[in-house]
Amino acid sequence: MRKVALRGLLARKTRLALTALAVALGVMLIAGTYVFTDTINRSFDRIFAVSLSKIDVVVTPNDDLTQDGDTPIPLDASLLRRILAIPGVHSAEGSINDQSGTILGSDGKPVSSQGAPMFVASLNGPTFESLTVAKGRFPQTADEVSLDKGTADREHFKLGSLVSVQGVAARKRYRLVGLTTIAGVPSLGGAAFATMTLPEAQRVTDKAGRFDAIDVEADPGVSAAALRARVRAVTPKAAVVRTGRQQAKSQSDDIESGLSFLSTALLAFGGISLFVGAFIIFNTFSITVAQRAREFALLRTLGASRRQVLRSVLAEGLTIGVIGSAVGLGAGILVASGLRALFKSFGIDLPSSGTVVEQRTIIVSLVVGVLVTVVASLVPAIRATRVPPVAALREGVAMPETRSSRLAFPAALVLSAAGVALMVLGLFVVSGTTSALSLTGGGAAALFVGVALLSPKLVAPIASVVGAPIERLFGLTGRLARENSVRQPGRTATTAAALMVGVALVCFAAIFAAGANKTIADAVDNGLRGQIILQNQAGFGAFTPEAGNAVARVDGVTTVSRVRSATTRVTGIKGKQSVTGVDPATFESVYKLEVRQGVPDAQSAIRRLPASGVLVETGYAKDHHLKLGSPVVLATPRSGPLRLTVDGIYKDKGKLVGSLVVPNAVLADRFGVVKDQVSFVGLRGGREDKGIKHEIDALLTADYPQVKAQTAAQFKQGQRDQINQLLGLIYALLALTVIVALFGIVNTLVLSITERTRELGMLRAIGTSRRQVKRMIRLEAVITALIGGILGVVIGVVLSILVTRAINDFTLAFPVGTLVAVVIASGLAGVLAAILPARRAAKLDVLQALAYE
Amino acid sequence: MAGRRATLCRMIVSATDITRRYGTGEAAVEALRGVTVAFPPGQFTAIMGPSGSGKSTLMHILAGLDRPTEGSVVVDGTEIVGLDDGALTQLRRDKLGFIFQSFNLLPVLTAEENILLPLSIAGRTPDRAWIDRLVDTIGLRDRLRHRPAELSGGQQQRVAVARALASRPAVVFADEPTGNLDSKTSAEVLQLLRHAVDEFGQTVVMVTHDAESAEVADRLLVLRDGLLAEDSAGTVSADAAGA
Ligand SMILES: Nc1ncnc2c1ncn2[C@@H]1O[C@H](COP(=O)(O)OP(=O)(O)O)[C@@H](O)[C@H]1O
Ligand SMILES: [Mg+2]
Repeated sequence: MRKVALRGLLARKTRLALTALAVALGVMLIAGTYVFTDTINRSFDRIFAVSLSKIDVVVTPNDDLTQDGDTPIPLDASLLRRILAIPGVHSAEGSINDQSGTILGSDGKPVSSQGAPMFVASLNGPTFESLTVAKGRFPQTADEVSLDKGTADREHFKLGSLVSVQGVAARKRYRLVGLTTIAGVPSLGGAAFATMTLPEAQRVTDKAGRFDAIDVEADPGVSAAALRARVRAVTPKAAVVRTGRQQAKSQSDDIESGLSFLSTALLAFGGISLFVGAFIIFNTFSITVAQRAREFALLRTLGASRRQVLRSVLAEGLTIGVIGSAVGLGAGILVASGLRALFKSFGIDLPSSGTVVEQRTIIVSLVVGVLVTVVASLVPAIRATRVPPVAALREGVAMPETRSSRLAFPAALVLSAAGVALMVLGLFVVSGTTSALSLTGGGAAALFVGVALLSPKLVAPIASVVGAPIERLFGLTGRLARENSVRQPGRTATTAAALMVGVALVCFAAIFAAGANKTIADAVDNGLRGQIILQNQAGFGAFTPEAGNAVARVDGVTTVSRVRSATTRVTGIKGKQSVTGVDPATFESVYKLEVRQGVPDAQSAIRRLPASGVLVETGYAKDHHLKLGSPVVLATPRSGPLRLTVDGIYKDKGKLVGSLVVPNAVLADRFGVVKDQVSFVGLRGGREDKGIKHEIDALLTADYPQVKAQTAAQFKQGQRDQINQLLGLIYALLALTVIVALFGIVNTLVLSITERTRELGMLRAIGTSRRQVKRMIRLEAVITALIGGILGVVIGVVLSILVTRAINDFTLAFPVGTLVAVVIASGLAGVLAAILPARRAAKLDVLQALAYE
Repeated sequence: MAGRRATLCRMIVSATDITRRYGTGEAAVEALRGVTVAFPPGQFTAIMGPSGSGKSTLMHILAGLDRPTEGSVVVDGTEIVGLDDGALTQLRRDKLGFIFQSFNLLPVLTAEENILLPLSIAGRTPDRAWIDRLVDTIGLRDRLRHRPAELSGGQQQRVAVARALASRPAVVFADEPTGNLDSKTSAEVLQLLRHAVDEFGQTVVMVTHDAESAEVADRLLVLRDGLLAEDSAGTVSADAAGA
């Protein structure tokens, strides 16, 4: 029996290849993701382990409290003196590791760090320094700097080039004296490192007398753990004390958790692709089981039991699953480097040293691939057991109508409804992110399967709609193509459904992105009263207040209102909370915050916000039961807790302000926040003015190149660009799913052609040309693909309406052009899928076709 | 052939009052309308009759491939009407062999593998001596490694005969085994069946609509409109006994 199954597989190599591919692509993405992220994690692990190998204990600030966005609050230099006095400390050193500065080339343009941070670092003593000089030497004077080799090479800097660094203090030029590597690699994930002497690093980052970290080396015989305890004893609570090994682990964990979102997303795309693959496998097996009914019947007359028939079909599934998964695993290992390239092209450069294939990667890839194949072939396998033995002797004994197929239609309705219900539950009822996401995802999957089961009923009507123009254009060939596509509606439906899934997700992403763009545009239109927005070039991160000062001096600028931020904890509320600082006097003139209630009244709550007051966003107030006059207690880095009272409750339609608003002065006093996060600029007359904008642009380019000025339109465009870039990445990943679906169309067509050999022979015998045969097959593929495309667009629209309902204040927008393009692209994809089957059909030898069987 | 007479009294297959209706109401077709017939061991029976007379239906019912609407069928002592699928499968493995009009060899297996297929399905080790004897009988020793596509129609049907005999079934059913063959190869296949009856004591029931083919049989049944119209039992079987 097994021999029969295996020989049967080998005899149909094209089908074997196409079916195995349906699994392989999904497995490839899963394996690729694992290899990709494992490789990155392993490289970072190694870099951190090597760079911290000589350090026994590290003291760093707690990152629960931050200033200027997410910059941790530095340690005081006095701590170093206390640590040096601890017995068992061989040496200790403070260092600077600051992310808020900007490194600029001699042309005055910021260097690109490809989405990774830029660091201004101090040069440590030989014991603690993790960088190695690859070329030149380390900086020795306050006018020298060394750069990581990766950045220097990317920017074509040579030793002796002039490099500027802009911290809080005015920009300064340095001579490049050395190129460095870390743990043997030229770049830490694309991050730029400018290293200078400690005093200079402190000066430029405005951290004189303070450190970002203190590294400690133990006396011989003193263990790192013991020393850690002693250091802990003299260190303020707000700081973190770790052994070198703990620090390496903590940094690795940070990277890992940072990557986990990415890997989860990639795995999800792999899962989707496998889901589509399951449709293909199901369809292929259904068709071949039907075609081989006689063979199963024969085996049954020769004494095969139902179980043996079942096992032989499942064995086929198993074989295909194993081959597909193994191929997918191999391809995944290869594709991991492709993923790196893909991310690099989207501006995310990640380090990799050697490919890491964990055991888990192999096990998960094989198990998932095999399981999907076997499960998808289960229903066809059961159907094969239902073939009555007498079918071997009688012509035209059809597959028996099973009870399940009579129940299919109501079951499909129930399943679709259940899918929608699950999604509603996940979107509107359940609160935990994980369960909400899995409910929504599961609901969407159920909806897809439900619609796929419903679609046999939809095939004929859709085919007649899309077939009508095709018939008119191509005459009899078109008509035959349409008839052929509705001949086995179940088969066409499943084939189309596979494409439907990919198309639906593409449409969903497109609609979601269009909605997000519109939402942001509306927010800007609703919130912004100023004419220009100042921001860091990167779009996030703080920048020096000097830039705002300079802009304020431009003729025609009436207001520069600064928005700052810090992170803290709120007593009684879990997790970190960001606090926004505003300038009460000017804020309202550049930005509209709808204050609903306020002290002394809603109109003047912002303008008269006292140092003891806080404004709270309505949603936040509701969630945490805050009313006017409620106390809000914030942790601060230096002095004790900051007690505030709620002086106003606002709604932020512009969504540019967080949940808590305090005066900038309070952030400066209590959190040490001195840099701007974003500034809104008001111009004379409250109107945009090209001349003034030019002047501001010129000023920033010359003196503050890390800051950009954007009009409302430019700001919206910038946001749109970011969203579209993400959309591009999603499209690229969904392309895989669509490709799997196209293989499905190829497979179905090839199988149908085999089935219709006699008929095709007859058509050829009565004078149909090869071209006409080809066209007929092509049009059939186009109709099938269009059915998938149309169903996909409809489901995509439904999904996006459902999901966006769950998001507060989300404005839905339908990119009609894109949706139409998607349908047309589906049709073209059908043409592509038909190439091989059409060629096969045209190659049929007429005589042989008629003698077939 | 010793002991054949002793078992003559026991019938290998017997059917009593078989009726078979297809469909219901107006559209109902009565393929068999009360047929009683029995087959002793070691006999070669031909069933003839015009097209649509119920020959195939009778054979399917005798072989447990179809259920009679009424009546009973006993194969080698077991009542088979109402058996479940598992028991019928076992019956097919142990007692029945089939030969089809369209040969029905598996194209992916070699001739030898096709012959052994019923045994490997049942998980039995083949009796090499028996298989060798069968192979010699069909005269295709040099073709054993060939696939069906590389064999002529007559050769394929000879392989199918060997396959039907491989598990030494109690009875071999053949539905128009020569329907797809020319007269020369037909004669070869019929001789092979005759040989199986004479040399191995095989019981064979063959449906045919070719009078010439029927001549090699020991006994001739004629069906007409679902009824047994003629049965040459007695005289023919006496001849056979003397052979
Ligand atoms: N599965 C079936 N459904 C309905 N009618 C059938 C079926 N099988 C056979 N018949 C009818 O039963 C009658 C006898 O058929 P069959 O036994 O095949 O005849 P024969 O083999 O003698 O040509 C015919 O009228 C045929 O149409
Ligand atoms: Mg017949």
